[in-house]
Amino acid sequence: MKRREVIKNVALMLGGAFSAPTLMAMDNWENATKPNTNGIAFSLTETQQRIVAEIAELIIPKTDTPGAKDVGVPAFIEMMLKDCYKTPEHQSFIEGLDSMGKVKFLELNTDEKRGVLKFLEQESKKITSKTTPFWRLIKELTLLGYFTSEAGLKASFEYVQIPGKLELIKLKPNQKAYAY
Amino acid sequence: MNLNIKANKNNTFDAIVVGSGMSGGFAAKELTERGLKVLMIERGHEIKHIEDYDTAMKEPWDFEHRGKTTNLSAEERWANSRFWGLGSEEVVNHLTNDKENPYIEKRAFDWIRAYHTGGKSMHWGRQSYRWGKHDFEANAKEGIGIDWPIRYEDLEPWYTHVEKFVGISGQKEGLDVLPDGHFLPAMPLFAPEAHFKNKMMERFNRPVTVGRVANLTQPQDIHTALGRASCQYRSKCQRGCPYGAYYSSLSGSIPAAMRTNRLSILHDSIVAEIIYDEQKKRASGVRIINQNTMLTEEYFAKIIFLNAGSINTAALMLNSKSNRFQNGFGNESDQIGRNLMDHQLGSGATASIEGFEDDYVYGQRPNAMYIPRFRNWGNDKQTAYQRGFGYQGGASREGWNRGVGADGFGADFKQGLTKPGAWTISIGGFGEILPNSNNRIYLDSEKKDKWGIPMIVTDAAFVENDWAMRKDIIASAVEMLETAGFKKVTPYDRPTHMGLGIHDMGTARMGRDPKTSVLNAFNQVHDCKNVFVTDGAAMTSSSCVNPSITYMALTARASDFAVKALKKKEL
Ligand SMILES: Cc1cc2nc3c(=O)[nH]c(=O)nc-3n(C[C@H](O)[C@H](O)[C@H](O)COP(=O)(O)OP(=O)(O)OC[C@H]3O[C@@H](n4cnc5c(N)ncnc54)[C@H](O)[C@@H]3O)c2cc1C
Ligand code: SF4
Repeated sequence: MKRREVIKNVALMLGGAFSAPTLMAMDNWENATKPNTNGIAFSLTETQQRIVAEIAELIIPKTDTPGAKDVGVPAFIEMMLKDCYKTPEHQSFIEGLDSMGKVKFLELNTDEKRGVLKFLEQESKKITSKTTPFWRLIKELTLLGYFTSEAGLKASFEYVQIPGKLELIKLKPNQKAYAY
Repeated sequence: MNLNIKANKNNTFDAIVVGSGMSGGFAAKELTERGLKVLMIERGHEIKHIEDYDTAMKEPWDFEHRGKTTNLSAEERWANSRFWGLGSEEVVNHLTNDKENPYIEKRAFDWIRAYHTGGKSMHWGRQSYRWGKHDFEANAKEGIGIDWPIRYEDLEPWYTHVEKFVGISGQKEGLDVLPDGHFLPAMPLFAPEAHFKNKMMERFNRPVTVGRVANLTQPQDIHTALGRASCQYRSKCQRGCPYGAYYSSLSGSIPAAMRTNRLSILHDSIVAEIIYDEQKKRASGVRIINQNTMLTEEYFAKIIFLNAGSINTAALMLNSKSNRFQNGFGNESDQIGRNLMDHQLGSGATASIEGFEDDYVYGQRPNAMYIPRFRNWGNDKQTAYQRGFGYQGGASREGWNRGVGADGFGADFKQGLTKPGAWTISIGGFGEILPNSNNRIYLDSEKKDKWGIPMIVTDAAFVENDWAMRKDIIASAVEMLETAGFKKVTPYDRPTHMGLGIHDMGTARMGRDPKTSVLNAFNQVHDCKNVFVTDGAAMTSSSCVNPSITYMALTARASDFAVKALKKKEL
């Protein structure tokens, strides 16, 4: 499949898939403010886990520093969704994964996968519901999981556990951010 | 079960202090240092300074959920988790389990509690400002509520006394609106904040200063003697500080009281009732219920200080009924539980800042920038509302999380996030709330908690004055950030209730007239002079500055008075 066609297909698929959460968001908002009772029930199938891992690694790929998979981000995402998010987000996430399944995400080549994600990113911005869209969820959890993991944090930033002083300084060229 | 033990050597003290938090800790210190044998009674479990700060030295990756509130925490801490960050596993276990300690919200109230040694002093933001003269005079001048029975001058020496012991870093500014105190060296403003400060002075004649904060920038002997060291600038204070560098009852007042060998502390002991001796016409002691064993005991003393936090102190008084006090202890005026005040919080504005790309900071400043009240002050007269507000906030460079909302992913995106982001700024208002007898807590007539104590009902909300002020907090924040030349200025207004300002107070106010107030000018219960209330309950108005050093100053002043009166056999 040519890249352009893939994107077109994705657009059709996603267009459909993404209108659903928007519509449902209103009803879900009610639930979101109540304590969650079925959080425990949230889990991913093996295929879904593979899609999550693929996307996380595309967001934070292994370069000269570790990537999302190296530091356990995929499992982190699933755990976080289960423990810290409620039904509307769970549904939004599963629906997102369903659309990825429909476009056979795992079978696409890297360029095509990136194309899908770019499209997803733009589409997500159009969603006005209060439920966080799939792309935003997977992106925020990937970044959180990666940049606060030991390997991810130490590879990315200058880790200062105990600064010992407070100083106004001038940034050196290419200086990494401090993490505490 | 009631064991009804008689007073004996083991359960009799010179003074009982109820609560080990900010004000109770200070009462214990002042009373023991003046020679009294004190029993401090704390309803929560024991936390040992340093030893029990179990999350203090954890690294970011040690937290399973990396600081996010879990569904479980949100359910168990249904009230505490309403406050920014308090649901996080960095601190959540040190805050009260609301499910086990529920209260009834007739009108919603965000009640933030920490039932353990040190109370909320372990978690406070450490912002410490003296009240001004105007704060004590405003009620009388404007005919609001009742007049304070004291003035700034009465409290001034006690502010100094407290500040020296606590250790407050700050910049002297010579402002009437925000009197200077006894300060340790100030922390710096960051480059964009300094720019902001200059612009505000230039365009509005409004002063801006760095926050006055109870973190030791330069410990003095009085601090090091207690094992307190200099701040290390990690800004993880709310977890408890392993260096004792910020002030809490745990790092300061309790060790100071312990040092006298005259302090005993009882944990897990809920003070359920004040015992009134009808013959002697004074309080003789308190009845406690052990929170674990449910056993009841009685303890006796010559004087009693109530420092359970404004709402719990009021609840305790309301629950202490006797022939003499059928409507609650010292409640002839029917003011106990009423005039519940707080500060309004949760609105302001944010902006992004262009420039200052080379300016960066090493270390994390556990502090903010402060903009003192400028409304209804000097020549400014607002028609829509009375009193005023101050802003707290500051500038910082964005971190990796700027990536969440930004477009992009992949290798370059990843690399980009390792650099400091652009500067942003945020300021939010703390607004004064007026005393209002309809804003109150009371005890439910039927429902009891698991210890058989009547449940607390909150029945308070913002009124017109608060909403009008809130509008201005937002509008003025936008105006100031725009005037400073900042970009993408965005107002914010978080849906909120009373309580979220974390400064609940006013529920047993001081006053001159026993008909309209509960306490006199030395925090004595009008109708029972050997009981003192020196936590936030005593407040007759709320000012707009953070209240804790005022509670401590009132406590120190009342303690001094109480001991002198005891010595003169007047109590
Ligand atoms: C997140 C946060 C940030 C804050 N920031 C600031 C700030 O920057 N500046 C500022 O000035 N203030 C701040 N505060 C407010 C400050 O913490 C309180 O003003 C202060 O702790 C009140 O002192 P207190 O002694 O009245 O109550 P607490 O410190 O809450 O102590 C009360 C104690 O009494 C115990 N107790 C309650 N009932 C009973 C009972 N029946 N029997 C026995 N013991 C009982 C409690 O367990 C507790 O230990 C902040 C608060 C929070 C939560
Ligand atoms: S910032 Fe200072 S006071 Fe706060 S935890 Fe760190 S060392 Fe302690």
